[in-house]
Amino acid sequence: MKRYFFLAALLFVAAMQLNAQNLTGRDIVQRVKDRPDGNSRYAEMQLTLVKKNGDKRERKMVSWAMDEGKDTKKIMFFTYPGDVKGTGFLTWDYDQSSKEDDKWLYLPAMKKTRRISGASSKTDYFMGTDFTYDDMGGRSVDEDKHKLLREEVRDGHKCWVVESTPVDSREIYSRKVSWIRQDCNVAVYVEFYDKLNKLHRVMTVLDVKKIEGFWTVMKMEMKNVQSGHSTQIVVSGPKYDIKVDKSMFTVAKLEKCL
Amino acid sequence: MKSHKINMFFGRYAAFLLRWRWTAIALFAIVLVASFLGMSKMVQQTSFDDYFIEGDPMLVKTNEFKANFGNDYFVGILTECDNLFTKENLTLMRELGEELLDSLSYGDKITSLVDLEFMLGTDDGMEIVQIVPDEIPETGSPEMEQIRSLAYSKPHVARKLISQDGRNAWILVKLRAFPSEEEWKQTSNVSPDIVIGEEVTRIITKEKYASLHPKATGMPYVTQQKSVYIGQEMGRLVMIAAIICILVMLLMTRSLRGIVCPFLSVIGGIVITFGIAGYTQMYVDSTVLMIPAILAFAVAIAYNIHIFSYFKQCMRRHGKRKQAVVETISEIGWSVVFCGLTTVISLMSFMVIPIRPMKCVGMMSSLTILFVLLTTLLMAPVLLSFGKDKKPKAGIDGEGGTRLGRAMEKLNDFTFKHSKPIVAVFAVVCVALGIGLWKIEPAFDIERTMGKAVPYVNDVLTVGRSELGALYSYDLVMEFENEDDAKQPENLRKLEQLEELVGTYSLTKRTNSILDIIKDLNQTLNGGNKAFYRIPKTEEEVAQMLMLYENAGGSEAEYWMDYGYKRLRLMVEISDFNSAEVERELNDIAKKTEEMFPGVTVTAVGNIPQYTTMMQYLVRGQMQSFIISVLIIAIILMIAFQSIRVGLIGLIPNLMPAIFVGGFMGWMGIPLDMMTATLIPMMLGMVVDDTIHFFNHSKLEYDRKPNYTYALRRTFRVVGVAIVTTSIITSAVFACFATSACTMCINFGVLAVIGILSALLADLFITPLLVKKFKVYGKEKEC
Repeated sequence: MKRYFFLAALLFVAAMQLNAQNLTGRDIVQRVKDRPDGNSRYAEMQLTLVKKNGDKRERKMVSWAMDEGKDTKKIMFFTYPGDVKGTGFLTWDYDQSSKEDDKWLYLPAMKKTRRISGASSKTDYFMGTDFTYDDMGGRSVDEDKHKLLREEVRDGHKCWVVESTPVDSREIYSRKVSWIRQDCNVAVYVEFYDKLNKLHRVMTVLDVKKIEGFWTVMKMEMKNVQSGHSTQIVVSGPKYDIKVDKSMFTVAKLEKCL
Repeated sequence: MKSHKINMFFGRYAAFLLRWRWTAIALFAIVLVASFLGMSKMVQQTSFDDYFIEGDPMLVKTNEFKANFGNDYFVGILTECDNLFTKENLTLMRELGEELLDSLSYGDKITSLVDLEFMLGTDDGMEIVQIVPDEIPETGSPEMEQIRSLAYSKPHVARKLISQDGRNAWILVKLRAFPSEEEWKQTSNVSPDIVIGEEVTRIITKEKYASLHPKATGMPYVTQQKSVYIGQEMGRLVMIAAIICILVMLLMTRSLRGIVCPFLSVIGGIVITFGIAGYTQMYVDSTVLMIPAILAFAVAIAYNIHIFSYFKQCMRRHGKRKQAVVETISEIGWSVVFCGLTTVISLMSFMVIPIRPMKCVGMMSSLTILFVLLTTLLMAPVLLSFGKDKKPKAGIDGEGGTRLGRAMEKLNDFTFKHSKPIVAVFAVVCVALGIGLWKIEPAFDIERTMGKAVPYVNDVLTVGRSELGALYSYDLVMEFENEDDAKQPENLRKLEQLEELVGTYSLTKRTNSILDIIKDLNQTLNGGNKAFYRIPKTEEEVAQMLMLYENAGGSEAEYWMDYGYKRLRLMVEISDFNSAEVERELNDIAKKTEEMFPGVTVTAVGNIPQYTTMMQYLVRGQMQSFIISVLIIAIILMIAFQSIRVGLIGLIPNLMPAIFVGGFMGWMGIPLDMMTATLIPMMLGMVVDDTIHFFNHSKLEYDRKPNYTYALRRTFRVVGVAIVTTSIITSAVFACFATSACTMCINFGVLAVIGILSALLADLFITPLLVKKFKVYGKEKEC
């Protein structure tokens, strides 16, 4: 028994060393992408947008998501402010890149569901925040070339520092440098540089927690250092592998609001 | 203080200086080197926002506007080609747009036909389409025709981005807020708008974009172009002034040091002043920087001519060099200092005008004159002291006088012989020109101030007057009582009413507001039905549509509605600029909106209200600075000559330039601009020098022999020549400005010559009559 334990320990150490030696920037980013998040999930989100002059806009929403094979279905409703309460978005994201995502929108004031076709640019900002849709997790690993720059300790956590350069020169950034925590595969600090290689935006994860066995970003902030605008996203009550029915992700449910 | 006591003081100074002349040279060299180092730190600004001083109500309003709606500065590019809808042209347009967005330091967002995606209403929903797809189709293909029809499918979009004939297209680059002056000055000595202007120029002049004939506009580009133009003009004018200086001094002094001395004075004046401006990070406006530079030449020549002229007389008398220097400074020193100080004070009167470039002219010019004066008093005696003594050479009257001196005496006789007709002619001319004073109008627009003959102005005007471009704009901000009020349909309808009202004014070319977005969304969400191109009925609808708009990646809304949904912005682009008409329209709109929307605060900001405010400041400020300089000069004259009567009488000839220059401006329709506004007080400060020389010398002669006829004849002979020559030379220096293509430089040059010559005429024909008539030095005594 002792012998087996020793052998296992040896193998583990060897595997770790091999890992550290052979991990490429791409491998690390792939790990971040592949971080487990359950088959279904629920969360409440609070968005706080702050302008340079201190003016704020606040929005709150709830969202449910469910994986169906490699595809994902999401439904999201606004709960605050009052005049947009009940506004909902339903999205069916298909893994197959040639297949266009299905999207519906429900505006309670008009009591109308509208189907949205065509694609908005992925580099557009999400809900008027400083996060792009890509920053929110929509970006594919191979849309950038990754380079592991070094390893360093940040806020007491060992991190990989990875530089990612977009393949398509039309992206809004020329490069980004990410500090990825080795213990949880979360990019906790990211610097985005513009085309003139000047620092443009800085993303800071302010709180990461393990909820129900899944590493979850609870609070993060994106600051556009050039415009002074910033966005804070606070996640509350996240749940994973929830019991949710397929019917949750339908137009009928969208129209029933919350 | 009696004249001879002052003269003794200057004599002692000259003797002391000659003992320490090498130390003086070393000291001057050290100061010059230190100043050169300081010059490199000098920051030049020409941005229109920088014109207002801190705390100015218009600046406060503008800053509040920027905080709510972002930077109102933008870069606009107008392209022109035979047909935009070809693969080559659309590809180039896209490349140009991308390069602008990626390479402009403060580029935020680009709007053009090739970067535009918009929402189209369909039967069951809506479609987000990109007018020009990533893969641009072949010329003449059905896909290309599809692009053309999509481009014109939304008239409110098309009218801003593409001309009806498809030849012109508009690329708009929105800029993010610039850092504050304190922030950017820490890392750079080039202001952000100039940086952007340089980047735009570099991009649009690339060979690859030549077929699109891109022409730029927008305040950063205009400011940078102006800065480059003024820099080139300044170099050219300084060169001409330098040539005039060399020729004149060569002719007058026939010696090398006659050329070197004024040059050293000019260098000392300009370099030390610019060095101080660099070390102190003073606000320096490049537009008005020409004034101190040329002024330095004018006064340096004048001071040195006075010194050289007297020095030569002394040398002719006794030929002893060092003694001649001491005598010259003793005799001329006080009047040169006095002249310098009056000019300095006149120029400092610009400090009362609450416009930063005017304060800059005041500060930079007065410092320049002060250092020209100090350099002249330091270096001219030192340089003149080197060399051998000469043999005395008697003049034609045996007293060192010249033919010109005799001629001046004859002129003096003529003046007294024809005193009545002379006074009558002056009175009639003054009354006629005085009426013209009331016709002067201020102007700030580039067409009237810079003129179409300046190439960049012509380009900017062409863009501004094209179907897509606009030269000037103003913003009306409607501020409601509470947050979220701006989303209320009834308040949006008020905005619509305001937009309709503004649209009825003749100068309005185009208006922009949040209504374009909201109405378009309403139409899109209602199956594209044109009947729904209107304001929705409820606040919830508006809020949810805006939410949808943001979710689809739209970021334009925040340019038109503030973060707290309390303010709405209406941007009005105007077709042309006529200062009086614009002011009238703006006042009328302000009045009507107050009546139409009680409880709603409507504020006007943007370059047009800034222009009109600035014009009011300029008119009021010019008057104040004129009155201040008149008062101070009168007081100085009174103190210096220890007589109220001398002070008041001395003022009379010096008011001539004000009447002549102002009257000419009024009758000829020359506007009051940043340069011409400086003229009258500046002229007063300069021409008073001749009066001072005249009074100073006539007083000296009168003290020696208390007889007016004798004293005035002597004065005409001794200083008359210098007065005439300095006036002609100073006029020649200022006339350099008239060689420019820029309207305000031409006006400045012509008016300066009129001012100087009118003062000369007054000094030659009016001052002697006044001195004798009012017996300013007391009753004559028998000797």
